[in-house]
Amino acid sequence: MPLCKECKKFFPIKEDPNKGDCVQRVVDPRQAYYKAKPVGADMDASSCSSFEKK
Amino acid sequence: MAEPAKNNSVAELEKKQEWWWAAEKKRSKRLDYLRKGMWKKGAIGGLYPAGLQVDLEQAVLQTQKARELETSPDPFVVKQAKIFADYLDSKTIFITDHAQLVSYVGSLPNTINWNPTMATILNAEVINDPTVIPEPLDESLKVINEVIAYWSGKTDADRIMSQTDMADIMKILSGTIGWGIPLARGGYSGKDYEYIMSGKRAFEDVLAEIDKNLDEADASAHEPTANQEIIKLYEKMNNWEAYKIALEACIRHGQRYARLARIIAENYETDNKRKEELLQIADCCERVPAKTPRTLQESLQYDLFIQLFSRTEAVEGAWPARPDYYHGPYYEKDVNIDKRITKEEALDLAGEFLIRAAEVSQYKVKWVREGLQGIEGTWVWTLGGVNQHGDDACNGMTTALLQAARLVRVSNPTFGFRWHPKVKEEVLRECFECIRQGLGYPSMRNDPLLIANSMYWHGHPIEEARTWVHQACMSPCPTTKKGFQPMRMANATANCAKIIEYVFTSGFDPVVNMQIGAETPDAATFTDFEQVYDVWVIQMKTIFSILTRMINAARAYAPGLTPRPFLSAISERSVESGLDVMTPSLSRGNSWITAFTWVENADSLAAIKKLVFEEKKYTMAQLKKAITDDWQGHEEMRLDFVKNAPKWGNDDDYVDNIMLRCLRDCAIFGHELKDPMGNNWPILPENVSGNIHYANVVGALPSGRRRGDALYDGGISPGPGLDKKGPTAVLKSCGKIDHISDGRAFLLNQRLSPTQMAGEKGYSLWKAYMDTWYNLGLDHIQFNCVSDETLRSAQREPEKYQEVIVRVAGYSAHFVDISRKTQDNIIQRTVQGIG
Ligand code: SF4
Repeated sequence: MPLCKECKKFFPIKEDPNKGDCVQRVVDPRQAYYKAKPVGADMDASSCSSFEKK
Repeated sequence: MAEPAKNNSVAELEKKQEWWWAAEKKRSKRLDYLRKGMWKKGAIGGLYPAGLQVDLEQAVLQTQKARELETSPDPFVVKQAKIFADYLDSKTIFITDHAQLVSYVGSLPNTINWNPTMATILNAEVINDPTVIPEPLDESLKVINEVIAYWSGKTDADRIMSQTDMADIMKILSGTIGWGIPLARGGYSGKDYEYIMSGKRAFEDVLAEIDKNLDEADASAHEPTANQEIIKLYEKMNNWEAYKIALEACIRHGQRYARLARIIAENYETDNKRKEELLQIADCCERVPAKTPRTLQESLQYDLFIQLFSRTEAVEGAWPARPDYYHGPYYEKDVNIDKRITKEEALDLAGEFLIRAAEVSQYKVKWVREGLQGIEGTWVWTLGGVNQHGDDACNGMTTALLQAARLVRVSNPTFGFRWHPKVKEEVLRECFECIRQGLGYPSMRNDPLLIANSMYWHGHPIEEARTWVHQACMSPCPTTKKGFQPMRMANATANCAKIIEYVFTSGFDPVVNMQIGAETPDAATFTDFEQVYDVWVIQMKTIFSILTRMINAARAYAPGLTPRPFLSAISERSVESGLDVMTPSLSRGNSWITAFTWVENADSLAAIKKLVFEEKKYTMAQLKKAITDDWQGHEEMRLDFVKNAPKWGNDDDYVDNIMLRCLRDCAIFGHELKDPMGNNWPILPENVSGNIHYANVVGALPSGRRRGDALYDGGISPGPGLDKKGPTAVLKSCGKIDHISDGRAFLLNQRLSPTQMAGEKGYSLWKAYMDTWYNLGLDHIQFNCVSDETLRSAQREPEKYQEVIVRVAGYSAHFVDISRKTQDNIIQRTVQGIG
């Protein structure tokens, strides 16, 4: 089962590597941006369509 | 006017008064990207623009956390703070390319934030608004249904309304006499800027103050002599705990942005200059809101965070602020003293600050969106004015904001400029330039007079009155410990045309088939004008009482039922006392009744007095019949009432004295009505776009108006086309009102000819006109300066005129974003030739 921590978009928090940010690039019809959402390092990534192996 | 040829120079475009194209060419690449990248959020015809989505993230996260806390022994206020904190810790954040400032109320740039804890009627609208529900629809509908089911009966409105009079609620929700519902977390939220924005403290400093208070309270509670007094202390300690939870979450939220900026800089960004900017953002968000700002960028970021956090806790329909006053010292330090940044770089920050505010959007019910066509709320930022010692407060940031507004041309926020005799000519010219270039703002406010007005009506001491900001479109409110008002609930907004309508219906509302006003005698039996007028006063008092007593109740219940831990945590009075910010005893009070559709009363009463009782051309029975028939079959009589009765705005004492009499009776009643702080309820005539919203709700009137006709557009503006005697006569009529004691403020719309405003001569004419305005003692004026030709072209080819802005009432909007009826109403306003 793939985990978030194995994903290129996962950035662990130094003080607590079990937690991190999922950072993704988005280009919408008007602007481009990077978005971040807190995720757990051991979160199941099997149903994540954005998963990219490190 | 076709799209400009590519080789048109800025000078050519400005000569043709195509300001919007000129602005595009003049602004920096960064501002151009951010302005064009902005998702416009204001509703068009009550519907949100295509591409926007209601944001389910806050709704889902808050519902999850509330469920989790259901069995927790935490006091209610602590649970509220934990729900707030969890959302800030968990929500999606983003940083837009080229941006230097960050934070948004929703999860993504095209989302409309939805706070499900406010009102079931708001939640019900979300599910019935398929235009904004995100795909896949079935999945979203399932989520929305679950959220609605959870909050049903638990929202603020559900809990507050169950404590109040059901008959009053029905009358208010009928949508006939008022606007809005009485919520402490839904309305126009002032801030104690003197405490939190004056550079003396930031969130870590407040946390230290709270810790000290908690330690002292804890020690008192454990004294051997402690008795039942400790019950009060427990309540305070719970509140302080909640404030701490909220503030700590805010600091963590800032750090989340810092981390994201570093991740982008270190892992994705290849451009060195942008890398540096991202690291600058990271530094900035590590600094604020935890510590006091050191630079202009930090100061603006700090302000944005405060606004974001407050809107996470509440749905705010206004944005009381004084950005030049509070950010001015940082501008001065960065640009003029340390020379850290250039004027152009400061202008970029000011422009981006406006864009960041323009993007903010929180889901609102449709009748609110209809009343605020084309904008998200009345975000009237206050510029200029005097400081607490009475000296001119204008600074480099005042000019930067006025210049930035012309470059980014957003319609919301707008500015209200506090005009006083010490304002420098160069600053006035900047104001004029915004008006001449068709922004519709700044509105001009008479500062000395409004300071006196604040002291007269609400007893604010002069030093506090001098800090005033626009709490919504128009009403001044101090930014001080006791003076600021934590929430102005919008439902003290009276649809005043109903007063004269109910004189003829004995208080029965034929539109909703309900007795709403007082049951007064049959108007057909009235034999003199005084009988009409006495009943008018009874109906006025009835309507005002219904609206204000609901708010009084909601305000009194708010600290217990709907506390605001974050707003309390940034308010000196709550940090000091441990009591919720809404607690009436901590506040001086700054209430007012917004009087929509006001001038119809004076014009109608004047027509009755003249044509019925003096000239005896008609009987009251005939007039009542004509009105009941919506003037159908009585056209000749109607035209008599339109053309041969005196109309407000022509310097005609006959009708002007009736206006004064009505205002003064309202003022007497405004002193009798008291808010929970024991302070007065003055009226404030203005309209936003209520004149269109209420067009079908208000029946025929003796002024000659038929049901469905647009009502008058301003607060004391004459009816469109009825001001026949020119601009000075309008000012003279308005100048008969005592703008200190007759009410809280009075909105006046005027249209000027762009041709006449051109060049140096244009400025001289405007300045002379403004001197007359000032000398006559008016408190407000705002201008539309766009030609009929441009507006008609925009109606024909809206795609080519997307950026044309007009002044609607207390706010500006893009012309293409307002309804056809409102567009026509603006075109009908008399273009005043001045000079
Ligand atoms: S949520 Fe998906 S994209 Fe994000 S880190 Fe986990 S696997 Fe990667």
